[in-house]
Parts: sequence; C-alpha cells; structure tokens
Amino acid sequence: MSNLPFDPLLFSIATPLAVAFVIALGLPKRWSVRLAYVGFTAPALLALWTWCNYGAAPQQQGYAFLRTYSTGLDQLGIRLTLGLNGISLPLFVLAGLVGLAAGLYAIQSGAERLKIYLMLLLVMLAGLMGVFASVDIFYFYFFHELALIPSFIMVGVWGTRGPSENSYAAMKMTIYLTLGAMLSLLGLIALYVKSGASGAHSFNLITLREIIAAQPLEVTLQQNIFALLLFGFGILVSLWPLHTWAPLGYGAAPSSAAMLHAGVLKKFGLYGLVQIALPLLPAGIAHWGWLLGLLAVVGNVLVVGLITMAQRDLKQVVGYSSVMHMGYAFLGVATCSTLGVGGVVLLMVAHGLSVALLFLLATSIHQRTHTFDLQEMGGLAQKTPVLAGFFVAGTFASVGLPGFANFWGELAIFVAAWRFSPLFTVLAVAGVVISAIYGLRAAARVFFGPSTDALAKVTAVHPPTDLGWSERLPALILLGALFFVGFWPQSISRPLNATLAAVYAPANPAAK
Amino acid sequence: MTPVSLALTVLLAPLVSAAVIAVFLRRAGTLAAVVSVAAAAVIAAGAFTLAFGGARFEVATPWLQLGSFTLSLGFKFDDLAALMLVIVALIGLCVHVFSLGYMHDDEAKGRYFGGLSVFMFSMLGIVLADNLFMMFIFWELVGFSSWLLINHWHERLSASDAAKKAFVTNRVGDFGFLLGIILCYWLNGTVSLSELAHGHVSSRLIPLLLFCGAVGKSAQMPLQVWLPDAMEGPTPVSALIHAATMVAAGIYMLCRINVLMVPDALTVIMWVGTATALYAACCAIAQRDIKKVLAYSTLSQLGYMVAAFGLGSLAVEHDGHRAVIAAGVGAAMFHLATHAYFKALLFLGSGSVIHGCHHEQDIFRMGGLRTRMPLTFWTFTAGVAAIIGLPFLAGFFSKDAILYLAYANNRAVFAVLAFTAVLTALYMTRLWRITFFGEPRSEAADHAHEGGLTLTLPLVVLAVLAVVGGYAAHYPAGFGGVFSQIPEAEGSDHLAILATSLVVLLLGAGTALSFYRPAAQDALEARFPGLHRLLASKLWFDEIYGYYIAKVQQRFALLLNYLEQILLAGFVIRGLVAGVVTYVGVAARRLHVGRLNVYVYWFLFGVVALWLFAAGVF
Repeated sequence: MSNLPFDPLLFSIATPLAVAFVIALGLPKRWSVRLAYVGFTAPALLALWTWCNYGAAPQQQGYAFLRTYSTGLDQLGIRLTLGLNGISLPLFVLAGLVGLAAGLYAIQSGAERLKIYLMLLLVMLAGLMGVFASVDIFYFYFFHELALIPSFIMVGVWGTRGPSENSYAAMKMTIYLTLGAMLSLLGLIALYVKSGASGAHSFNLITLREIIAAQPLEVTLQQNIFALLLFGFGILVSLWPLHTWAPLGYGAAPSSAAMLHAGVLKKFGLYGLVQIALPLLPAGIAHWGWLLGLLAVVGNVLVVGLITMAQRDLKQVVGYSSVMHMGYAFLGVATCSTLGVGGVVLLMVAHGLSVALLFLLATSIHQRTHTFDLQEMGGLAQKTPVLAGFFVAGTFASVGLPGFANFWGELAIFVAAWRFSPLFTVLAVAGVVISAIYGLRAAARVFFGPSTDALAKVTAVHPPTDLGWSERLPALILLGALFFVGFWPQSISRPLNATLAAVYAPANPAAK
Repeated sequence: MTPVSLALTVLLAPLVSAAVIAVFLRRAGTLAAVVSVAAAAVIAAGAFTLAFGGARFEVATPWLQLGSFTLSLGFKFDDLAALMLVIVALIGLCVHVFSLGYMHDDEAKGRYFGGLSVFMFSMLGIVLADNLFMMFIFWELVGFSSWLLINHWHERLSASDAAKKAFVTNRVGDFGFLLGIILCYWLNGTVSLSELAHGHVSSRLIPLLLFCGAVGKSAQMPLQVWLPDAMEGPTPVSALIHAATMVAAGIYMLCRINVLMVPDALTVIMWVGTATALYAACCAIAQRDIKKVLAYSTLSQLGYMVAAFGLGSLAVEHDGHRAVIAAGVGAAMFHLATHAYFKALLFLGSGSVIHGCHHEQDIFRMGGLRTRMPLTFWTFTAGVAAIIGLPFLAGFFSKDAILYLAYANNRAVFAVLAFTAVLTALYMTRLWRITFFGEPRSEAADHAHEGGLTLTLPLVVLAVLAVVGGYAAHYPAGFGGVFSQIPEAEGSDHLAILATSLVVLLLGAGTALSFYRPAAQDALEARFPGLHRLLASKLWFDEIYGYYIAKVQQRFALLLNYLEQILLAGFVIRGLVAGVVTYVGVAARRLHVGRLNVYVYWFLFGVVALWLFAAGVF
C-alpha cells in the first residue's frame, strides 16, 4: 500500500483546486458545470476509498497514508505532511460526503453567477479536505483559512436575506471568526515555540507529540496555551456566549455554503481541541474543564435550546439547534476521556451530516413556500410527501433517535459525562427533551395540519412539486451516511478507538 | 435453523419489510400491505417455534467500543421474553390482518403498513434485548413508530398535535430512564440483565430512575396525558400499540429489572400504579367517545399491572416448605397477557363499530348495533365480560391474582383496587349497553353493517383467547418461569377474594344496567351534572400542563430569546470587543469597496506575499 501510484489525500485536495482554477481561466458555463461534477465527486470517492482501506493500510506513527511534501518553507519547519488517523479519518470522509452533497445541490440551484459560486465552493472543499488530512499544524491552520474566506464571500454576495442583512451577517461572521482564528493561531504558535518544537524546526504534529511526551510543558503554561486554543476554537464552534455569529450567519448563508460551513468547517475547532489541545495539554483541560462544561451545558444546551424553541424562522431553528448540539460536543471534550472524546468525534460526523441535510431541505422548502416563516406554513406534506419524509428523517436524526448516527455520539457523551459531573449530565440529558420539542414542532408546522391561507396563496401561484432527483440525490447521500453510521457505528469507532488509546493514554493516564 | 438465527430472523423480518416499503412501495399500497402482513406472519411463526420449541438462550455481540466502554447488542430469551414475544406476535398478526380491511381505502397505505413494520421491529427489540442500553435503543424507536402512526392522518391538526405530545411526553420519561441506565452502568460496571442478576449494588435511585421510563411509556401518572390523545391514530394502531403491546412495554421492562428493585422503590411504584388505576377508571365513566373510554380503561388496567408489580414478592407455602415467589412479576405479566387479548379485542371491536358506522365514534349516536353487527357484538361482549372479571374468563383469573396479592401485602391498595374494579365493571357495562342496545340514534348507526372477513376473523381469534386465555396459567409448559410466580389464594383467602370479585362485578355491572339506558344523553350528566363535570374534567391535567407550556416555558424561552437578541448580540459582546472591532472596521472600510474580485485579489496578494517572505525570497 505504501507504494501507491498516487496519494489519495493530495488528490482530494488538489482536484477541487485544479477544477476551480480551470473554471477561473474562463471555461464556458456548460463545461464548467461538467468539470465541477468531477471536482465535487473526486474528493468524496477518494475519501470513501481511504475509509475502506484504512484498516489494511500500513501505519506509520499512528497514521495511514502518510506522505510529506516540501513546499519551499522547510527552513521554517513547515512541510505539507498529509496522513489520516482514527480521529481525522471520519471527519475526512464527512468533508468529502458533505462536499459532494453541497456541490450537487449548488449545481442544481441555478444560483446567479454560478461559475464563481462553484469556484468558491470548490476552494472551500479543498480547504476542508486539507484541514483533516494535514498532520502539519501550520497547514492545518492554513487550510482552514482557505475554506473560511470563501464562506464570507458567499454569505455576503449570495445570501438569502436582503442585501444589507447579508453584508451585516458576513461582516459579523468575519469579525468573530477571524478573531477566533487569530486566538487559536496564537495558541498554536505558542505551542510550537514553548514546546521546543521550534528548536527541532517542525510544525509536524507527530514530532510535537514526541517532544511533549518526552518533556511535558509546565502546568501554568499548559493552562495559558489551552485557554488561547479553547476560546479561539470556542468562537469558531460557537461556544456560548460567543455564538451569536452562527444563527445570523447561517440564516443568511446560501444553502451550500451553510451546509459546508455548519456541517464541516465548524468542526475545525472541535477537531483541533480533540486532535491537538487535549492530548498535548492535559493540565489545560484539567484546569478549564469545569468552565467549559458549565458554558456548554447551561449556555449551549439549555439557554440556546430554549431560545431555539422561541424561533419562528425555519433556518434560525436549524441554526440555533446546531449551536445547541455543539454544547454536547463541548461537554464531551470537557470529560477528556476516551469515551467522551470518542462520542465527540461520532457526534461531529453525525451532526455534520444531519445539519447539512436540514439546511439543504430548508432551502428546498423555501423554494416551495417562498418563506422561512413557520407561522405561514402548514400542511406541505400533502403536496410533497417525499420532501416531508426526508425532513422528518433529518429532524429525528438531529433529535438523536437511535438508527441515526447522532444517537451514538450523544449516548457516549452522556455516559462519559456522568463520571465528569452527574449534575451536568442531568442538565445535558434534559436537553434531549428540549430538542424533541423544537424539532417536532418545526416539522409539524411546516408539513402537518391544514395548510395556512398564506401558503395557499403561494401554492396557488406556484404549485409545489415534490423533491426531484436533482435535489433528492444530495439528500440521499447525507441520509444514507446517517443511517450507515447509525446501524454500523463500528465503521467509525474501531479505528477511532485504536487511535484514542494511543494518543490519549500517555497524555492522560487517568482516562479510562 | 438455530434458535439464535431464528430469533434474528424474527427481529429483522419487519425491518426488511419497512425498508422495502419505504424505498420501493410507497405508492404501491396493496403490495406494501402484503409485504407487511407477510412479515407479521413470519414473526408469528418464528415466535411460536421459539417459545414452544423450548429453546432458551443468551447471546451478545459488542457493537460499539470506546475505551473500556462496550455497548453490546444481544438476545436474552428466557420464559419472560418468550411470553412477551408470543403476545406481541399474536396481537401483531391479528392487527395486521384487521388493518387489511380497516385501512383498505386509505390513501397512504404504504406509509401505514411501513409504520406497522417499524413498530414490530422496535417492539421485538425491546422484548429480546439482553441489556438496558439495547432496550433503550428500541424503547426510543418504539416512541418514534408511535409518533409515526398517531400522525398517520397528518392533515388533521389534532393528529399531528397528539403525535407530538406522545413523543415529547415519552421523552420526559426517557430522560429519567437514560439517567438510570447510565447510573446503573457506573455503579455496577454493566447493564447486562443477566450480569445484574448475578450481583449488583443496591440502590434506591436506579430503580426509581428506570421506573421513569415506564411512567412515560405505560402512561402512568403524572405522564398519562398522552395516551387518550393518541387515539387520534387509526384504530388498529390503538389496539396494537396503545393498548396491547407498546404501553405494556413499561411493565415488561420493570419485570426485566426486577432484581434491581428495593422496598422503597417498590412502594413508590405500587402507589403510582394504584393512583393511576383509580384516576383513569373515574375518567372513563364520563367519556362519550368509544375509543376514549377504552383508552382510559387501558390506563386504568396498566395502573393495575404497575401496582401489582409494586406489591412485590410473596412468601408462599409449597408442599410444606416456605418459598418466596416474585409474585409481583407473575401477577403483572399474567394480567399483561390477558389484558393484551381482551383489550386488543375491544379496540378492534370498536374499530369494527367505527368502520360499520362510517367513522362515528360517539357512543350516544350509536345504539342498536347488536342486531346490525352480531359478530362484532358477540365478540365485543366476550371482551367486556373478560375485562370486568366474569368468572372463568381471562380477566377473572389475572385480576384475582392481583387482588389477592394486594390483599396479602397491602390492604389499603387492596381496597382501592377493588373499588377500581367496581368502576371498571360500571363503565364497561355502560359502554356495552349504550353502544349495542336500544334503537339506532343516528343515520350512521342505522346503516351499520358488518365488515369483511379480514375484520371479523381477528375478532374471533381474540375473543377465543379472551375467554380461555386465563387457563394459560395452568398450562405452564412454555412459560413456567413466569407462571410459577403467579400468586394463588388458598383456603379462607381464596373465599375472600372470590367473594370480593363477585360482589365487585355485581355492584358495578348492576349499577350500570339499572342506571344507564340506551339513550342519546348521558344519564350521569342529566342527573348528577356536578359529578359528571368533575369526572369529565380529568382533574385538569391537560389544562395545567398547557398553562405551563404556554405561559411558563414558552414565555421563558421568549424572554431568553429577547435577551439574546438585545443584550448579547447588540451590547455585551460588542462592548467587549469594541476596541478590536473599531480598528478592524477602520481598516476594513478603506478596503471595503464592495466588489468581489477586489477582495479575492487582496487575499491572493496577501497569500503570495506571505509565502514569498516565509520562503526567504525577500
């Protein structure tokens, strides 16, 4: 396997970039779209291929498919090192699948200036594949920025609200997320300098781990660096009360951008915490864990959960619910145990798929009702049963019904959290009731009961059609993956467990 | 086929059926019905082979491993599971067949039969589960299938609301259930039923938290509110899910975790069950809707079972030596079995009546159906006779077992349950008399007619079981492990119980026969309006919960939302980061010329410059 004729990871990053570049050269629209299919499909297929072959692939220092490329920055210790371990593999696959779904949905959306829109999406996708494939923390950060910037532009230009609201949302997102990214960059640089990795001239995570395992950082230093990473990443993942950019931004974002951002890009922060911060800075999480748990449970789960119940706008419901579910993920991080962190990874994948599905369907609903206002909807299921079926499935997935991937993540986190704090666990599990209330209420408002007068007027002018295949296919990809992991969690947990045992055991001997 | 693979087939057949229907047969309703009924037939055949073939086994396979935590899926097939499996399979098949006729003209038959299959899969999972996590998984799935089927006629707002209410109320119970499972896992290091039976930490909290799950699923007070509303679903669904099987899952679960019980927890369980039994029987007296009467009756009977379980064990003398039997389990499961037969029968009978009367559900607009629907009448009569405890019918034996256990263990509970039995005889006789006797009181009732074979055959099968089902206890071949635990009164106790149950029966039925006449108006409402209003109010549970949801919870949510919008978004964060934002803003405004490509060029320029710098070019 090591003598593969090609590097699937490099190709999964390079293909969408290359396609975007060719489109930018001025390819006609028809050919641009055809080429875009290749750009969106290739990473997904490559990701699935790595998923299937991960177990058989030879491992080097805990990573499969490990390759290093020089990019002219070797003097600074920066090399493009690509590889996958049990933590990054599921997220790499997630990025590929959501990227494909978002791309297919974008192509059929017929957006204005479609070529530029597709280009930006492709660049974003390349960045996302790169984030999870990078073993080098400089490139880890670089790829994040590569994915982040197109998302601002897409919100500002292709937003679904009015022009002024779009640019306000884009500006707010930019400020918050840049701030978050800057803080986490500071943390990463501090880690690099203080660990002595700068002496070894390496941003490579594997080297960093070895250095820190040989000589752990001082406790206060760990705590301070961890704080930078926690709050930097926290902003990016919408930790309460630093979350206000999220509902606003997602409310305005065009569907495919929202799918990629909420589904995948947002996981960057959690991934950074799980892959880098927790194993390298155990004293940091020991110090900040309580605050993190408190903010996550009281802020994200309970307060944001109740706020979600008060929303009247379908997209806001999905946006706020996504903030709420991040609370579970943060709680899992706070436990700093193999079980809790495993739950976080499962939940990241599951949430990424389900929130992307819901954003996609919310847009499809909007195309039929011409509104996001829940008060004006009702009874749509009579006209579009398939759309209703998909939305109900997505809702129940996000509510954490067994059979969907989300259940495993939430369950593992709840079980792990009891060891961390029974009180927090009780409060977090109460969130399960809250999400059932707003999830089912939204589904019922849109689809069930008699149709409202407002809707009747709209449907009289534009008779709604049911979900066509061009919309159904991307939804099916996401739903299929939710079911697959829901029925077969070992597909993720087996490699994950092996990596967690290796990465977390030396750093945190107390973790079980 | 080995027993394990047979059990797996039984479990997966309905899942396959549901998947096939969902993917291929959404519009082909008739074919979907055939597939679903075939799956039910496979289940029934497999269940009987397993239960009476004598195979008892335990298997498990790890499904999710993270660190030292392992969640396994497995089967624990003992006598208790075998009994439950037979009940579920039998009632399931009857209801599937009945649905063929009842839902014949429905537009969304595919979704309906798919939903039935999902339910069968979920319910069988609960029955076979060998550990609490697995039980929880299927527990949640059962809640989902209940939602799906109550919501079947989703264009009706009432159906959609009822479905939502059922799911959310169940989730409230599951909140405690899940916490109980997690606590059990950390205290005992395992959630496997068999390993817990071998040794566990004694705790009051675990059984009470687990009981929360049963309170939700078996609709005990104070979470009983969802079950009457759930009658918005199609009637066969009410028979299968909201009378015979799903709502009984709570009692089954309690019996599964019997080893974890401690006296204090049992006392709580006993009183919750007793209160529910009495409360629901009172409510049933003032209902006009045939399904609502049966729904409250179901609540009351479930309360009976929960109370029986809570009454706990009993010391008995057997062949001269003393032994302690798990009488609570025996009595509760026995009543669960007989109740499943006669309540499914009554619900399907009511379905037959509703079908015959063109969807009229008000009993005061029926009447005279005895001659128009004779088969339904006679089978319904068998059901009524069984539930009110007519001697030698199924309900008589199981109710006497519970009454005797109460008599032996707690006289106060005995008194309440005996009084509840009077009320049961009263409201069931009222229902029977007003529905079937007298003159037809509406056009629909006048034109009532018997349904086809698919409607009547299940009624006959269930009527036979309602009559002879009580003797199963004397035929312990398949289920000795459960039926040997049924308390049986001997000597003077036996006489006391027999006398009680006869007095109860005569008092209740006699009052009903003399008080109620088949008329268009409720005699109670006419003669004792105050009492009727009190009973019809159902003690304002719905109003109180409604007030809480609308005036407390929703207002609190709106307040938080208001704070979020005003304080957080506009003030606090802006104040905190004002400095940064101002500087960024000033710089950004210079560059903010509103053209997309300008940003892109700036970005590219920055990246290239940085790169060149870092690479040491300049």
